[in-house]
Formats: sequence, C-alpha cells, structure tokens
Amino acid sequence: MKRVLKDYEPLAGSNAVSQLKQLARDLVGAKVVHVNSTKAGGGVAEILGWLVPLMNDLGLDTSWEIVQGHSEYFQVTKAFHNGLQGNNATLTQRMLEVYEETLTDNANRLRIVLENADFVFIHDPQPAGLLERCNDRSGKWIWRCHIDASHPNRKVWNYLKGKVSAYDASIFSMPDFAQPLVHPQFIIAPSIDPLSDKNCELTETEINNTLQELGIPHDLPILVQISRFDRFKDPIGLIKAFTLLNSSVDARLVLAGGGATDDPEGDAVLEEVKDAAGKNDRIHVLLLPADAHRTINALQRSASIVFQKSTQEGFGLTVTEGMWKGKPVIGGNVGGIRLQVHNHYTGYLVNTPEGAALRARELLRNPVKRERMGLTAQRFVAENFLLTRHLREYLTLMSGLRRGLANYLVAS
Amino acid sequence: MGINTEKTNMPFEIKDCALISRMAGIDTAINLRELRERLLICPVECLFHHFSETLIRPTFDDPEYRNDFAIWASRNLRDRVLAERLGIINPYALDSFETLRAVLVDIVDERLSEVPFIPWVEKGEDFRFMRAVTVVFHTHRKLFAPEDLRSQLSRMSLSSIYYHFVEARRRTEDGSDDFTAWLAGFGTGTGVMIDALKGIDFYFLTLFELKRQLISVLERATSAEPTYEKST
Repeated sequence: MKRVLKDYEPLAGSNAVSQLKQLARDLVGAKVVHVNSTKAGGGVAEILGWLVPLMNDLGLDTSWEIVQGHSEYFQVTKAFHNGLQGNNATLTQRMLEVYEETLTDNANRLRIVLENADFVFIHDPQPAGLLERCNDRSGKWIWRCHIDASHPNRKVWNYLKGKVSAYDASIFSMPDFAQPLVHPQFIIAPSIDPLSDKNCELTETEINNTLQELGIPHDLPILVQISRFDRFKDPIGLIKAFTLLNSSVDARLVLAGGGATDDPEGDAVLEEVKDAAGKNDRIHVLLLPADAHRTINALQRSASIVFQKSTQEGFGLTVTEGMWKGKPVIGGNVGGIRLQVHNHYTGYLVNTPEGAALRARELLRNPVKRERMGLTAQRFVAENFLLTRHLREYLTLMSGLRRGLANYLVAS
Repeated sequence: MGINTEKTNMPFEIKDCALISRMAGIDTAINLRELRERLLICPVECLFHHFSETLIRPTFDDPEYRNDFAIWASRNLRDRVLAERLGIINPYALDSFETLRAVLVDIVDERLSEVPFIPWVEKGEDFRFMRAVTVVFHTHRKLFAPEDLRSQLSRMSLSSIYYHFVEARRRTEDGSDDFTAWLAGFGTGTGVMIDALKGIDFYFLTLFELKRQLISVLERATSAEPTYEKST
C-alpha cells in the first residue's frame, strides 16, 4: 500500500513532517534516481520501498532502478560484499570481467535516466561501476554503502575504491564504517517504516494464528532471530547459546529469514543451520519468502527476547525492528548493533554464545526488567530510527550538496 | 494580557534546522597523544560538533557525559579521571571555541604528565573526528510580542529550539541566544524574561528537557512581569 507523509504524523509528530516539507521546498522537481541490485529481500530494498514514494510525495521526481545480471555477476558482487566485511575473497580476472561487462550492459540500459538525474544514489558495491560509464552525467552522484566496511579485504577495497572515488560524496551508516576517500563522507543511520507490514501493530489473534500456521507452539517463551542465512549472522553460534540456555530455562528458538536474490550462499548456510539444529524440536528453522513481512512482524511480536547475534553487521535493521516492538535485544557487539543496543538499557551486547545464553537466562528470569528494557528500546527507536529522520538527512545532504557543502546554509 | 515594553520590535522569524554529520577528514586518534595532536589542528567546527551538536544528532539520550571526548575517554580509553575532567567543561562558559581548544589541550597535557604510559585504545575504537553540515530553513511562523514566545514555544520543534537557543551562541557576537537578543530589542519590560533565560544551565539538558525548562521559566517570568491590556 502506498503511503504518504501525512500517514506518519501520528507516530513521528507533526513537527517532523512539517520539517520535511520545509526542507524539500529547496528540492522540489529535482530528478533523483536510486540504484541497487534487488527489489526484494534485504534491508536496502526495504528502505527504498518507502524512501522512493515519500520523496515523490515531497515533490522530488524520484525513481528506483536495479542493475540486472546473471548468477555469475551476483557471485562476484557477493565476493565484494564479503570482502568489504573483512572476509577473505578471491577476485579473479574473469570475475572482474563479468562485473565490468554486466555494468556496461546496465549502463547502456540506464544511461539516459542516470545522466539526466540531479542526484543519483548508488547503493552498495553492485552498481558502483555505473558512474564511470556515464560520462555526460550532470547531477551529483552519491555512493551509499550499507555494509560495515571498517576492515575491508584490501584487494576488494582497492578495486572498489577505484570505482567510488570519483563520486561527489559517500554515505556510511556509522563513522566506524567509513573508509578514507577523497570526497566528503556523510553518516546516515538507516531506519524503519513503522507503518509497514513488518512493523505495524498486529492483533493477538493474528500473532497466534501465524505461530500456529508455522507449527510453533506458544507453550514456552520464544526467542527469535530474524536474518538471512548468512554466516556473519552467526546462526550456529545462536544455536549453541540456545543449547546452553535450554539446560536451565525452557524456551523455544526461532531462526527465520528469507533469501535474497543477490545472495547465492544462502542455501548452503541454511543447510548448515538445519544440521546444527538436528532433531531438537524446540529449535524452529524457517525459510520465509521475501514478502513474508507480516509473518516476521508476528514472530518478533511473539518473542520474549529478540536476538541478532551477528559477528559482522551493517546497521542491523532487525535490531531496530525488535526494539520498535518493545523487545529487549541481545546482539553481537559489532557494527550498528552497538549504536542501538545499550547495555542494561535496551538490551545486551555479547561476544560469545556463552554471553548470549547468560543474558537470555537473566532476562527470561526477570520479566519486569525485560519489560522496562523493551519500553526504553521502543522510545529510543521512536526518537532516532524512524524513517522521518532518515528522510530528513537525505534531504539535508541533497540541499547541502546543491549549495556546495558550506557548513551553514539557508534553504529558501 | 500583554507585556508592557518600552518600544516595539521587528517580528521574530522562527527558523528550524537540520543537520547531517560528516567525517572531518582528519586521521583518527588511537591514543591520547594522537588525540592531542589532532585537537591542535582540527577545524573549530569539529569541536562544536563534539560538544554541541551531540544534542541534535541521533543518539542515546542518556549518555554519561555531554561531549564526545569525555565519552571516549570513559568508554574507550577507560580513563575515568580524564573523562571527568573533560566532562565538566561547559563550552558556553568560555569566550570562544578556540579557548575551548586550549582548555582541552591543557587537560590532555596534564593527564599525559600524570600517567606512566600513553593511554591507548584497541584498533577500531579510535576517536573519529566529525563535523556537520547544517541547513537552516524558514518555518514561516513569526512572533510579534514577547508573550508570543511563551505561547509558541510548545509548538516549536526541538531542532528549532536548538537553533535559536543553542546554536545561536556560535553565531552571535556576544554569544547570546536569539530569544534573548530579540527580547532585548523591546527595551525595558522584558528584563525578567531575559534573566530567566540566562538562568538556564542548558548544557547538561537534553533538548526535550531544555524545551520543558524554557516553557517553565518563561511561564514563571511572564506571570511576574508587569502587564497591561494590549491596545488594538
């Protein structure tokens, strides 16, 4: 369902919506193009799913394009993704050729719209090479890196740095993720859409029906981790934590996630997770379709604790989602999780399966503390990580870029 | 009911602002000596960002200290002594941000002379120097008389209050806030309101708390002001 800014006033406040309209006056009519690699699955597609219509609602002429490629291309970009996150990655000459050829095909298809745009936002490494193929570009090009690139594989980064250096600016989710570049680097934390199927209020009946359909008995406290089946999300570590926990506290663990069309490793990791879960009937491993947003919402709302036990993480939108639903979060002490989970206030940061088990036990034994943390977490998200703040920062960046990035500007 | 003022004044244009943080383009500091070196060369906008713009950027609103240097000393360097010395600094009690720079360097020098080794942090915990781009915009709302300030404050956004009450101190020559400067333009009659605004120790408040306190002190001040029926 297409939403407009006015819909967000009850949650974000009329001042927040009014600010967006005032800021956007400076940019009405500007042609804005967002480019990423998938329209379904993953946090980037979700963000663009609301960002693009809301920018249009504010009077900016905004479109969303995706780069198209074969599986070989997505194997290459997955290697980029892993490499940016610090994993070992092999880049062969053939892989680079596949990347370059695919980007040339996409540039030929998208050139007119990209070269005529006032602002082009290129999301993540997959489409990064488009800029050098649009020589007659007239607008500002911004590379938006959603990945924790704080310790990238040098070979991968050196290659991508050559692609992104010519951009007018880049955006990272946290200061820690930024890499030295010749252009200005901005910090914009992601956000959630509180009215989306994934985050809207649900009735108890719908939550219970969802659990029933998924075959999850609601007889014990439920612990939930929602994430793609990716080794950086450490699902095996979480199963180990749950096994430790279950020797002292009865609970169920739900590991649920969808696949993304740009992630070829998902199937293999899913099999590893199923093997690790074995025959434990209290561990529920669910592969959900990419559009199972209400299902995910129901799972998060059914949880006593939300987990995101990642060993590498970009921002961790599933953490934000869990907190928005009033749940304490036990998260890996990495990336953007550290920006959201504040020990003893909104949840706990942990470094090991043992730490995760310890904190889960503490919270399951203390419902008052759990509730207090959940309320703090919800308020924290309401004040900082709703899409109105996110959109405001995009508008501020565009206004700033248009006026030469002086530190102090007056918009008309 | 209105406030009896000596003269009329131009309307007060309520503005608002939005901010986006950016990297300052300065190497990170991994130990206290590096922090000192970077403090000497960083643009004054960095100091403003790490001391004042902490109020307005997305952050957990209950930090131990109000400036990023003190938080880094506490959480990352794990030097509570340094954190407390940095945490007590109120930049608005100083005459400029250049003076603030000198104070910071002095505190760091003092600490370096006390400790047996250079305090350092693990890789990845470096202090990252930031600054911001601020975009200011009109709300197309105006205040015409002093009492309008009291009545309109509750409608102002937190960022608008930040712009007029906090950020203004960087803009104005005498380091005052916009409300005070405007009220002073009415001559005598607004002195109690101005004194009430000056009495707010805002540096340790969140913007939400500041807004609440502004409303509260102005309500008290205006009820104490000599008032008269406004002629039409």
